[in-house]
Amino acid sequence: MPVLELKNIVKNYPDGENINEVLKDISFQVKKGEFAAIMGPSGAGKSTLLTIMGALLSPSSGTVLLNNQDISHFSKKQQTQLRLNEIGFIFQNSDLIPYLKISEQLQFIQKISNKKSTDAIAILKQLGLGHRLSSYPNALSGGEKQRVAIARAFINQPDLILADEPTASLDSKRGREVVQIIQETVHQQNKAAVMVTHDERILDLVDSIWQIEDGKLNKVNK
Amino acid sequence: MYLTLRELRHNKWKFSALGLIIFLIVFLVLFITGLANGLANDSGSAIKETPAETFILQKGSQARLNRSKLTDPDWQKFQNKYHNDVTKLSVAQMTIQKQNNASKKTDIAYFVINKDSFLAPKSVKKTDGNQVYVSRKLESDGYKVGDSFKDSNSGKTFKIAGFTNTESYSHSPVIYLNNQQAQNILPDSKSFNAIALKKNLTKRSGYQVISKQTLINNIPGYSAEQSSLYLMIGFLYLISLFVLAVFFYIINLQKISDFGTLKALGTKTGYLVGHVLTEMGLLSVSGILVSFLVTYLIKLKMPASMPFSLSLTTLLGTGLLFLGIALLSALLSLIKVVKVDPINAIGGNN
Ligand SMILES: Nc1ncnc2c1ncn2[C@@H]1O[C@H](COP(=O)(O)OP(=O)(O)O)[C@@H](O)[C@H]1O
Ligand SMILES: [Mg+2]
Repeated sequence: MPVLELKNIVKNYPDGENINEVLKDISFQVKKGEFAAIMGPSGAGKSTLLTIMGALLSPSSGTVLLNNQDISHFSKKQQTQLRLNEIGFIFQNSDLIPYLKISEQLQFIQKISNKKSTDAIAILKQLGLGHRLSSYPNALSGGEKQRVAIARAFINQPDLILADEPTASLDSKRGREVVQIIQETVHQQNKAAVMVTHDERILDLVDSIWQIEDGKLNKVNK
Repeated sequence: MYLTLRELRHNKWKFSALGLIIFLIVFLVLFITGLANGLANDSGSAIKETPAETFILQKGSQARLNRSKLTDPDWQKFQNKYHNDVTKLSVAQMTIQKQNNASKKTDIAYFVINKDSFLAPKSVKKTDGNQVYVSRKLESDGYKVGDSFKDSNSGKTFKIAGFTNTESYSHSPVIYLNNQQAQNILPDSKSFNAIALKKNLTKRSGYQVISKQTLINNIPGYSAEQSSLYLMIGFLYLISLFVLAVFFYIINLQKISDFGTLKALGTKTGYLVGHVLTEMGLLSVSGILVSFLVTYLIKLKMPASMPFSLSLTTLLGTGLLFLGIALLSALLSLIKVVKVDPINAIGGNN
């Protein structure tokens, strides 16, 4: 059974008098322990697709099944709750909260969630951030920040991890390290993960590759 | 609270500056309020602190004691009806000087009253000859109990038998005279200015009947001072509402992308609203408390002659009103926070 399944997703944006059909009849699925990549040119709708997967946006039509539950018509409140407990996000610019120390970035998520706590410090240490626990984000390098963002995405034990171009602001060596960490954690903890990227050199690290073009999503053979 | 305390800790200087602004404004409001109250007392406490409720003046005297002249037949009419609830009052603004120093003169107000009447302060006792009770305000002009002074106009001397409270009329200390003593000073001792009544009365044909507050409002200078000071206070509240709203809006505008991220991560909007309000509330409460402290310290150091008076109720009331203003000024920022779309966190375009 897939963790996340999209069926016939359509997303339209109003564009003056016309409508801009960004996603046309998209179907997709990702299983436990699977690390999927979505490739495509700029403006193809990758971020739009990821926000629909992440319960930040409702599709114009189609169904989004997370753990077999249809979330496509959730209210804002239900979506917020779902994002907190079932989904881990890794953003392009890591988006850490500037006034929280590294350990507090994770503690805060644990505080607002009612899920059973895991050991935040242990996760950070495991990702090589043991010496950074009481630093503020502005003292960290881009790669370190992205590792904190990974730790934050996993802290709440979500079933689904979503990453939007997590390597975009890193050089290729650091970028590869970061994707490697995501891959290892996904496999170790048996999570489902979807990553949007246009860096072809890291595709050897993922389990499945999808290509989006002209609003259509196709699986690419590895 | 989790976010609030950590943000305050991390951005100490930014928030201290905002707290400082709040402190300065509240302090200014308290100071001017104290001054307005002090001046009000200085202008009319000799009238205000009496149990009189109504004053009866000559018809057409425009609520001014010095323009009113009543005579014995008037007095009889009211005394027959109200007995011990009425008493006569004459007020004369004059100048006194120290006996051996003609160059140091002090403006005063004579209150001609019956020492047993309700217009007399508690400490006024029976005196004989030229002994008089005077307002403690005269102390700051160098007068002590037992000193003698001379009425500049008539040359008559009096001796200070004791001080009453700081009764004041039109910014001058009050000297209480009895009828006998007044005869030597006031030209026309058969007439008097007003009849004070301990009851509420609104009308009596042939007379001008006014409330105590109307009388005070018409003491020369009183209304002009009070209205300009309260205009200033009103504007200060208005200015602080806008200044704080703008400052707080700018501070929160800088954090919009953080709010988007927090929402994307699953933080409820209500939690963020609480965070913003707590932040503003904590800053305001600390600014207000510091201004209470500074106002208190300054009041201790102030010379007695400075008209300044701030009751605990006024102090706390001002603090609460200001807290309300501060929270109201956060409204604009709150709308912004509520409107942040968590979708902005994705896509990297923020
Ligand atoms: N909120 C929006 N309103 C209107 N059009 C949008 C909005 N968000 C994205 N689009 C349009 O949808 C298309 C896909 O955008 P996006 O998903 O960000 O692409 P990608 O992430 O692949 O670069 C673009 O043409 C963009 O202009
Ligand atoms: Mg994008």
